[in-house]
Amino acid sequence: MRRLLATLVLVAALAAGQVATLWWAAGARQDLPLPEDHSYVLPGPLLRVVAGEFRGLAADFCFLQGLTAYGKLLESAGPSQARDSDWQRVYRLLDAATDLDPYFFDPYYFGNAVLSRNPEMIPRINQLLEKGLEWRDWDWLLPFYLGFNHFYYLQDSGRASEYLMLGAQRPDAMPLLATLAARLAYQENRTENAIVFLRGILSRTEDERTRELYQVRLEALEKIHYLEQAVLVYRQHYGEMPGTLNVLQERGVISAIPEDPYGGTFYLDADGSVKSTSELTYAKGGTSNEIPAN
Amino acid sequence: MVSIQGISKTFREGLSSRKVQALQRLTLEIASGEVFGFLGPNGAGKSTSIKVLLNLIRPDDGKATILDRDVSDRRVRRQVGYLPENPYFYDYLNADELLWFGGRSSGMTADDLRHKTPALLERVGLLEARKRPLRTYSKGMVQRAGLALALIHDPAVVILDEPMSGLDPVGRKMVGDLILDLKHQGKTVFFSSHILNDIERFCDRIGIIAGGRLRLVGELDKVVPAGETLEGLFLRAIADDFGGLPS
Amino acid sequence: MRPLWPLAVITFKEGIRNRALYGIFLLALLLFVANFLICGMIMQEVGKVAVDVALSAVSFSGLLLVLFVGINLLAKDLDRRTIYMVLARPISRRHYIWGKFLGMAMLIVTATAMLGGCALLSIGSVRWAFPSYFPRFAWSPVLLALMLITLMLVLLAGMSFLFASFATSSFVTLILTVVSYLIGHGVAAIKALVESPAAVGIEVSATTVRVVKAAYYLFPNLSLFDIKVQAAHNLPVSWTYLAGTVAYGLFYTALSVTLAGLVFSRREFP
Ligand SMILES: Nc1ncnc2c1ncn2[C@@H]1O[C@H](COP(=O)(O)OP(=O)(O)OP(=O)(O)O)[C@@H](O)[C@H]1O
Ligand SMILES: [Mg+2]
Repeated sequence: MRRLLATLVLVAALAAGQVATLWWAAGARQDLPLPEDHSYVLPGPLLRVVAGEFRGLAADFCFLQGLTAYGKLLESAGPSQARDSDWQRVYRLLDAATDLDPYFFDPYYFGNAVLSRNPEMIPRINQLLEKGLEWRDWDWLLPFYLGFNHFYYLQDSGRASEYLMLGAQRPDAMPLLATLAARLAYQENRTENAIVFLRGILSRTEDERTRELYQVRLEALEKIHYLEQAVLVYRQHYGEMPGTLNVLQERGVISAIPEDPYGGTFYLDADGSVKSTSELTYAKGGTSNEIPAN
Repeated sequence: MVSIQGISKTFREGLSSRKVQALQRLTLEIASGEVFGFLGPNGAGKSTSIKVLLNLIRPDDGKATILDRDVSDRRVRRQVGYLPENPYFYDYLNADELLWFGGRSSGMTADDLRHKTPALLERVGLLEARKRPLRTYSKGMVQRAGLALALIHDPAVVILDEPMSGLDPVGRKMVGDLILDLKHQGKTVFFSSHILNDIERFCDRIGIIAGGRLRLVGELDKVVPAGETLEGLFLRAIADDFGGLPS
Repeated sequence: MRPLWPLAVITFKEGIRNRALYGIFLLALLLFVANFLICGMIMQEVGKVAVDVALSAVSFSGLLLVLFVGINLLAKDLDRRTIYMVLARPISRRHYIWGKFLGMAMLIVTATAMLGGCALLSIGSVRWAFPSYFPRFAWSPVLLALMLITLMLVLLAGMSFLFASFATSSFVTLILTVVSYLIGHGVAAIKALVESPAAVGIEVSATTVRVVKAAYYLFPNLSLFDIKVQAAHNLPVSWTYLAGTVAYGLFYTALSVTLAGLVFSRREFP
């Protein structure tokens, strides 16, 4: 009985020691420097060989790594300060995940939602989506995303319209795709089209965090649309362009200039369109700290 | 010397709740310097009793002591040599190393061992094969190695579970001679067997167990009445309560 | 120590002569040769890849050693009742566990020393062939990484002892050890993930967080012992970290083996 008690005391002491040293070592590990090129991801074809029969599992793992890499990117610097290599790492992991399992929807979906926060990544996203387009040939969402990216970021309404047409032909596509494809034939109504696009995407996005990303963009666009409408009203009324947006307020066309949710300031561009200093991203040097809760 | 007092042991059969009473209030006393033969049919509880003496099994009830020490005290086993019923040893060791382990772990000095090992191996007929891994041994050779391991540290009490099984006639004679030798050295020997001939030849006293209960115990010349064979006695003893042979 | 030593010695001998060991060494040898071929295909950081492959080969071979030789050493004792020859000696069940573990640890240290030697040889020969591609290379972090790999393997062996102390067959022990190994290498990353789920835009229920946290303290954090990346890039590894990790490894191992002894001392061997 005494022996047992002594053993149990010993076990408790060892367990306490174990937990304490775990804290110690885990804490110290966080301070270890990481290599610069830790972002190296094996190329997809090689991964396929290494993963053997566990390709699916490896794809899941790469995707989770991608999630973690994005988390680290946000944690270390925030999207505006993050280094280019951090963004590249997220992209490469998602690319690897989809090389391992090109039917895996999550990496496309996640990549499209988060990588677009860095406008420089747009061509990469489109590359990723193109891959998905080929494999997931029943899926109308990927051409829809591609359509939006071409229309909105690359300002290529022609290509965008093509993607939307393609999407519209796929099973169960939202009727919106066909409508949008037709509307994009006109360069006008850019803002309005973008709003329609985003509403469409939002109606198909259930995940709260991702919705927020799109919602902020939608909010900004709606405000721009509001301002553009006001400019239109002003022009009809006074027969000339307002010099600045402040004029709209001074003349009572609008009660106040709305705030850009990305933290920039709206202004009237020389060509008569409303823009923001933030360029609707948390761009480098952006003044905003109010990064949405994700 | 060796004392078993009212031990009972119940085994569970696999995961089912069916129980097997392997030992029922078994009581036995073996005096110093005695050669005790433990007899019984298959499944009688011989090996179980022996495992209780080696602390490999803990009885549900009762108490077992050797040299007046409870068998759960590890120091008892410095004075005990044990041969399991189907001995099996590490595959890649040789007989020398096996005896080295047995001797060193029982507190022998390296010097002692160096003298004793060859002599003992010679005795059990393994001197030639001493450098071969045990895995290459035949069943009888393993049995011999087991005997050597049981005796290497010159124990006061020797417990052998069916020491003759698997041995050729030469081997049986060797074991018999060993037991007689031990007897002359004044050691206590406790061994189980179904071979009645062997029992008759070496034992001072015998005990007959069946169905986990001791049926008969006493000095060999006293328990076997004149005009009866041990075999007859054995069959009668185990048939007593069953009204026939146990299944 | 006295009652443990003879058992440790025969356990070590039994392990080192096991045929499976030859297979493991052969595999390691192949990997070291492959290292040469792989490095030939690398354009820039040959040094990093050479260290990576060599250390991973040691780690993997060591893992096989623990899983297939180590677990067998204990399991065979129970399956085939060779344990009788030990417990018939003045050796208690606790002594048995510790003696066996000591022998096992000696086996692991010897094997990783040999494998490590081969690994260093393979790195050295790659370096000799491509001397200009080792700009940031040093031997000391590689040696440290080898040491931590050894400690990790000893810890894993300790865990396998704990499992063997209550498992009814060696297969169960093997499975449990493999599972602990997998969890042990992933648990720190998973914990980091569920603790700040917002960062990656996933949602995690409170129960999941609790389960993961429990697993974090229950299972060994094996990723602590992995400094292959640091070794490959010759990055500094702080002494506090090393000391903490070594202490953690020793504590965890001692805890596992003590518990194994406790469970084992209640066991019977019919
Ligand atoms: N591990 C076990 N689990 C369940 N039952 C057991 C176990 N070991 C023994 N028994 C049972 O206990 C009884 C006694 O077994 P024991 O091995 O002591 O017999 P024995 O007298 O040595 O027989 P034999 O002459 O065949 O060696 C038998 O009925 C056996 O089935
Ligand atoms: Mg028996």
